Amino acid sequence: MKPAPFDYFAPKTIDQALEQLDRGAGDATILAGGQTLLPLLALRMSTPGIIVDINRIPELQGISRERGATRIAPVTRQNAALANAELAAVLPMLTKALSHVGHFQTRNRGTVGGSISLGEPAAELPAAAVALGAEIEAHSVNGSRRIPATEFYIGPYATVLEPDELVTAIHFPDWASGSVTVFHEVARRPGDFALVGLVGAVTLDQGRVSRAGLAWFGMGPTPIRAAATEAAMLGQNAAQLDWAGLAELAVSETDPFEDHSASADYRRGVGRSIFARTLCEALNKGAMA
Amino acid sequence: MNAPISGAGRYIGQRVLRKEDLRLLTGRGQFVDDVSIAGVLHVAYVRSEIARGRIVSMDLEAARALHGVHAVLTAADLGKFNARCSNMHLHHNDGPITRPLTEEFVRYVGDPIAMVLADSRYIAEDAVALVWVDYEEEDPLITVEDAMSGPLVHPDRESNVLLQIGLPPNPEFEKIMASATHVVTGTLRHQRIAQSTMEARGVVSNPTGMDELTVHIGCQSTHIASAAIAQAFELPENKVRVVAKDVGGGFGLKAQPWREEVGAIAASLLLRRPVKWIEDRFEALTTSCPARESDITTTMAFDKDAKLLALACVYNSNNGAYPHMPDAGMPVMMFMPGPYRIPVYQFVGKAWLTNTVGLGGYRAPWAIEALARESLFDKAARQIGIDPIEIRRRNLLTASEVPCLNALGLEIDNITPMECLDNLLTKIDVPAFRAEQAEGRKQGRYLGLGIATYIEPTAANGVFPLLSDHAQITIDHAGKVIANLSTHSQGQGIETTHAQIIAEQLGVNVDDVTIYQDDSTRSGFGPGGAGSRQAVVAGAAIIRAAKILTDKVKAIAAHALNANPNDVTIEDGMVKVAGAEAMSRSLKEIAELAYGDAKRLPPDMEGGLEAQYRYTAERMFTHASAAHACIVEVDRETGFTNILRWISSEDCGVQINPAIVEGQIAGGLAQAIGVVLHEEFTIDARGNPTAVTFKDYHLPAITDVPTFEYTHITTPSFSDGGFRGVGEGGMIIGGPTLLNAIADAMLPFGPLPDALPMSPTKLHNLMQNEPVV
Amino acid sequence: MSDHEISMTVNGRTCTSRVEGRMTLGDFLREKVGQTGVHMACEHGVCGACTILVDGLAVRSCLMFAVQADGADVTTVEGAAAPDGSLSPVQQAMRECHALQCGFCTPGVVMTLTSLTQGATKSDEKTLLNAMSGHLCRCTGYQGIRKAIKQLAAGEAA
Repeated sequence: MKPAPFDYFAPKTIDQALEQLDRGAGDATILAGGQTLLPLLALRMSTPGIIVDINRIPELQGISRERGATRIAPVTRQNAALANAELAAVLPMLTKALSHVGHFQTRNRGTVGGSISLGEPAAELPAAAVALGAEIEAHSVNGSRRIPATEFYIGPYATVLEPDELVTAIHFPDWASGSVTVFHEVARRPGDFALVGLVGAVTLDQGRVSRAGLAWFGMGPTPIRAAATEAAMLGQNAAQLDWAGLAELAVSETDPFEDHSASADYRRGVGRSIFARTLCEALNKGAMA
Repeated sequence: MNAPISGAGRYIGQRVLRKEDLRLLTGRGQFVDDVSIAGVLHVAYVRSEIARGRIVSMDLEAARALHGVHAVLTAADLGKFNARCSNMHLHHNDGPITRPLTEEFVRYVGDPIAMVLADSRYIAEDAVALVWVDYEEEDPLITVEDAMSGPLVHPDRESNVLLQIGLPPNPEFEKIMASATHVVTGTLRHQRIAQSTMEARGVVSNPTGMDELTVHIGCQSTHIASAAIAQAFELPENKVRVVAKDVGGGFGLKAQPWREEVGAIAASLLLRRPVKWIEDRFEALTTSCPARESDITTTMAFDKDAKLLALACVYNSNNGAYPHMPDAGMPVMMFMPGPYRIPVYQFVGKAWLTNTVGLGGYRAPWAIEALARESLFDKAARQIGIDPIEIRRRNLLTASEVPCLNALGLEIDNITPMECLDNLLTKIDVPAFRAEQAEGRKQGRYLGLGIATYIEPTAANGVFPLLSDHAQITIDHAGKVIANLSTHSQGQGIETTHAQIIAEQLGVNVDDVTIYQDDSTRSGFGPGGAGSRQAVVAGAAIIRAAKILTDKVKAIAAHALNANPNDVTIEDGMVKVAGAEAMSRSLKEIAELAYGDAKRLPPDMEGGLEAQYRYTAERMFTHASAAHACIVEVDRETGFTNILRWISSEDCGVQINPAIVEGQIAGGLAQAIGVVLHEEFTIDARGNPTAVTFKDYHLPAITDVPTFEYTHITTPSFSDGGFRGVGEGGMIIGGPTLLNAIADAMLPFGPLPDALPMSPTKLHNLMQNEPVV
Repeated sequence: MSDHEISMTVNGRTCTSRVEGRMTLGDFLREKVGQTGVHMACEHGVCGACTILVDGLAVRSCLMFAVQADGADVTTVEGAAAPDGSLSPVQQAMRECHALQCGFCTPGVVMTLTSLTQGATKSDEKTLLNAMSGHLCRCTGYQGIRKAIKQLAAGEAA
């Protein structure tokens, strides 16, 4: 379990990184926290010719406020984001999701941008990005674009990013203060990927659902936004929601798989019960607040 | 005179802190990968990518040409060094001929077909990636069912049954079955387990001098390793030195050097270079003799009083292609009757060959007996309508019934399962639990209580090399104690426990005793860590050697001080004469005399303070007894099992160090929890292992293992010291205790599935039924 | 493949070396710096045996390349005890609680608990237990580790 040989570069600026990705022409892989990449390299499931380590680019680290949103630079360590009090105040849903990412030790290296741009379907942060309406900003030598998280994921570990593109920021829009955190993860052991996971936020306005963002993880080839379920909740009186019906609808939006940890039926069944219970508990808490 | 060991000595029975920990906590242990030798070559194996087929051609040129690669060897290149592996009994048991490298036919995914030797493991793996192999692939046999109907795994054998064992059919059996009031049958399918020592296997082989070989290897006995290596390469055993200071877990996996270790040694002999092979986790989880995969169907017949009349078992084991030794269930058959009164007993067991990696022994290789028997007792209790505790009470052998011969003719004596059960039940309020359980069910909470009893056969005596252990104890000229023992530790803490025995016996401070067991050339032959024997057999050897040594010290002191030897004692390193305080001498002073002043020794006495003893247990087995209980809750929403409480009640005889006893029990219990709930070495239809990382192979984490509660009885065994052994008990009893608790919790939903593990998917699926309360 | 001249502080000493880009930090510490207390047990970041401190933070040394630690301050288990060899509070607690058997997973456990209890850092039992979920031990059933955690948390609270 030793990585195959590669050329290693550690650019100091975004521009240098983009040039190397451009020159790498598809043979270059970006190294952020490395907590998922290094196992793949060690197993030689990934054998890039070039590694572009973006850990020494200062502009790629840190959390800042921008108008109506929070900007998280990709190399921000998961534990640093988890400990960020301002983030916890404006996006408690994201903080909650961060607390379930990997282990304490891997969160010290693992990055927010790394997890979001890898697109492991059972990981917390990609689903959080989808649920919360984040946009992913990517640069290449040819320019930049902002991709809604809902359009970012196309399969397990597959995204719309081009090989020469580098994620430079993730923009999480604000949610009205008092919005309710929705989070539940069913995993065998702490740090394991989810068998079933649900993350998101709901905003209530005078008892009615004014905004909802919900996404599943571990329930299909990508994080899955429960878009129809969100739509069905909008405008409804939170106290009178048909939980059984919504749970059924939300699960019908998923596409779960079978692996040796759980069957697809298991994922659907557990999804149904955690959806109803998690939402119900969250909204009750929200109504009390 | 030394007091006999009673369990409450200065050191015996004390929670002495471990000597090993000082080096292990500070990173100064020496595990096999920590051995570095100049010029060493690193091995990576080229392994079969298919489970069954013929190698048509292999292109090694690119690999051989890679800078930093010294050799790429095939079976043909190894020639006579492609030596036959033997098991820990140092014979082949009529198993398939097992050599490091396969020649033409590959028989499992991962079958080694070539080996690269390079300047680093990095380069060796680079070279492996450059090897091109062309196969003619055949459909593999993966399961026992496949083996029953498929083509031969080893064409030179007559069938895919590697071994069949059984008891002659008992004519009484059918009659009893026909007339018994209650007949209960159950099948249990035990999954394949990856042994998962935290330190995987490894070897550093160093040919030294003209014809000597020094081998550093992860092993469970330096002596078995040395003998097996000598046998494989037809070397004189006294030229093979095996060194193993720290070994990161054994569990049976490291009981003998196997294909990859023998291959690395072969390469070192061929190339006359030091060679290192360190197994990585991918190899450990895919090609490192996993364990257990077997199924057993058990039938019990009871009379109207729920007393067992007969027991019958049919056992089949998936041995893979090259098992450590054929497993047709011999120990399962031997230990199935356990602590119970069983008038009539039948057993048939078969070992099946398949195109999977060969099976190895893993802590209590027979543990399925307790799983099958104890879960069937619970099923019988439910069918008959009596309490699971009561059915055990009616069938356990009582103190007045032993000694006796069990249905197999094995002697059962000096056991205390009933006492353990009684003691257990003082720690748990069963009626209160039943009330809580009934109340819980009304609220949709599914609690279960599981209880199991067993006797653990320890210190087996009779099959080579499980015969005797040796202790050689020296008080050096400075008055400090060195002991060379035939034992070996892979974490058991023998440097501490056995130092405690010595310190107790010699009357010295435990800090002044140092144990060595890391070098086959320094200590007497012994089987090391195997079969929960080291406390019992080596412990007794120590007691006898120490007695010889103590007598000598007394004789020398008495002679020098003109006292009666019977008045001399050794306490805390001081040699004292009763009633004559002023005549006290330090052990150092006596040692100086013994080594340096022959004139002052008793006439004809040999100088020095050295003694040795080889001890053989008088009986075929010593037995430890136990009863355990655990309480679980199964969550209907997720199918997750949460262990709420676990109580261990055991009798392992005199405890040398209760903290180490409890550590052995806890470790076994955690592995049993892994078996029942978490672990599974899965294989797809083409024979590819599919749980190849610790992300997918679920070892129990700290959150999966509850805090265990312990209660001890300490009935001395028949051996000197009164120790019984405790290495495998937790593993044996843990499985059925937990399985019974889950079955009890799931009762409203119906019987559990046959196949382990009881994963969330299986339990959740069962819980889709409406509960019948 | 690329080679890199790197320099880092390991247990208080400066180490300079040339390494291939692909060499993991764990392999580097073992092979080039002789810190064989860094145990490689899974090489894919799950078991935790290779955990060390990089700039004070507990990380998996199998999940970093040595070149990435250029300029860093690294502490391995060899650097956990006091210079006079006396055990650190974590090591002492683990010894007193019989928190190890074979000792192979132990260095990583020591370093995780060290990172959460050293200097002014205080952690409650829950935090320590949660961090321990990132370590696998096959021998002990975690009983002694739980005890040590309790003891450390109580000590920190005192």
